[in-house]
Amino acid sequence: MSLLSLEAVNTHIGQYHILQGVDLEVGAGEIVAMLGRNGAGKTTTLKTIMGLHPRTGGTVTFDGEEIGELRPYEVASLGIGYVPENRAIFADLSVEENLRIAERERGDLARSIDFIHDLFPDLARLAELPGTSLSGGQQQMLAVARALVPENRLLLIDEPSEGLAPVIIEQMMEAIRSISSDTTVLLVEQNFVVASRLAQQYVILEEGRSVAGGAMADLVDDDETINRYLGAG
Amino acid sequence: MSLVDLATTRKPWIVRHRLLLLGVLAAVLFPFVIAIVVDGAPISAVWENADGNAKFLQGLAIEVVVLALYAMSYDLVLGVSGLLSFGHAMFFAVGAYSLGILLKSAGLGLVPSLLIVMGIAVLVALLFAVVLPRVKGIGFALVTLGLASVTGIIISSSEFKDYTGADVGLQGVPSPDWLNPTDQRFRFYLVSMGVLVLVYLLYQRLVDSPTGKVLVAVRDNEDRALMLGYSTFWYKTFALIVASMTAALAGSLHTLYQPIVTPEVAGLGFTVAALLMILIGGVGTVSGAIVGAAVFRLTEFYLDRWFEGLSNLLIGAGYILLVLFLPYGIVGTWRTRSNRIGEGRSRLARLLSGSKGE
Repeated sequence: MSLLSLEAVNTHIGQYHILQGVDLEVGAGEIVAMLGRNGAGKTTTLKTIMGLHPRTGGTVTFDGEEIGELRPYEVASLGIGYVPENRAIFADLSVEENLRIAERERGDLARSIDFIHDLFPDLARLAELPGTSLSGGQQQMLAVARALVPENRLLLIDEPSEGLAPVIIEQMMEAIRSISSDTTVLLVEQNFVVASRLAQQYVILEEGRSVAGGAMADLVDDDETINRYLGAG
Repeated sequence: MSLVDLATTRKPWIVRHRLLLLGVLAAVLFPFVIAIVVDGAPISAVWENADGNAKFLQGLAIEVVVLALYAMSYDLVLGVSGLLSFGHAMFFAVGAYSLGILLKSAGLGLVPSLLIVMGIAVLVALLFAVVLPRVKGIGFALVTLGLASVTGIIISSSEFKDYTGADVGLQGVPSPDWLNPTDQRFRFYLVSMGVLVLVYLLYQRLVDSPTGKVLVAVRDNEDRALMLGYSTFWYKTFALIVASMTAALAGSLHTLYQPIVTPEVAGLGFTVAALLMILIGGVGTVSGAIVGAAVFRLTEFYLDRWFEGLSNLLIGAGYILLVLFLPYGIVGTWRTRSNRIGEGRSRLARLLSGSKGE
């Protein structure tokens, strides 16, 4: 059974009808990549799952439970972590405080800190610096690390490779792979190479609808689908 | 050293608060120094509350304390939590008037009156909290401005003249003999200083606590805080309640000290005064509110005395220069600079110890 499933999800933001029928399934333990051009509704889908842009139609089910009506903080407390795009850290808090604030229960950070430092050794050295003084790559690492502090069952990661140097992208991919050994991941990724190397399953969004999906291995050889929905890939 | 260890190794209390302790010492000695040096009076003039510069300047310092408490509470709302309230004066005015009415018209003692005032302050904060989820940013500013205006109208209306003194102001509030602002000026001065120190320490504690960090996170980006699992509404409500109680306490001191309380304390001008004070001191710094209040009240007082009609023009020019050259306020700028010095020192230490630098 799927850990997360969306059925015919519609979302309006103000008067705009952004999602017009998104279906997607994320099985426990998988990495699923959500692909599509700019403006296809990928980020909105993640925000709809989190309850930040509540769905206006369809169902969002997590672990067999309908979560479409829940507030963002209630969704988060079910064990869904969100790594927003654009280095979404708290600029006025230090690295350490950025991690500590993600604790859902006392001791979360103490439990996860070694794992985080193994993934991102830089963060140990930067603990006391304010969030603003980090480089783009370091901020992205911190944003991912923050989602690892509490025990999450599902991580929604938005554009982890955006604007990063190739060597940092490799490190980020390695980190996501390590995470996925015990956490399910739904990944939004524009970089098809990154997505195809990480994910086992994919779903493609086009103009607010899910238009294709299946095993990533099949998509890699399917030039027609790639060209049609993802441009030159 | 691991990340977790870093958080627990802090400098001892006395070192972290050395500036505060020095300030307290200076504040206690201040009247004696003035009495001896300026008035040429024996030090007993201070506790005998003899007329003179020492007594007068203590009065000015009490006014600074009242403003500092008020500005600090605004800093918690605006500077720390990022809530743009234009109705903050209402918190102060409700405290000032409720205490006055309870002491004068209801004839209650000071302690029960203060307890009731704190209860009212919580209710006023909840009134602000009701609109929190519905309006954000400038909308919240306008709604809170409206709430404060309504308070101002009620206070000045002739229907409640017997209680509030309407537009003339509230006069003849009996202050307890042991805390009379004229006969017991030195005691009043010490009590208000003590209140300020206590509230300041509480605020420092709050801002450094996990709750304080969540408030800063809400200011930085509320959506992110929500998605980490925080019900940000309750955090903002909590900040409003603490701020309202603090401002009401400031208002209560104001009523006890001043012979007359006027409806202006509910006006937009008085909220802007709080904004100016935290701009001077440094938004979001807490201690900046105290510095800002002192600079605000003292420049206002002395410029008025020396330049009379020109003083407002000079104050305005001063604020423009301040925003241009000290955009983070006095405390904020000082902290940024000392941080840079600290960063430089640790970089030097890393280089000297031969470990890999930044």
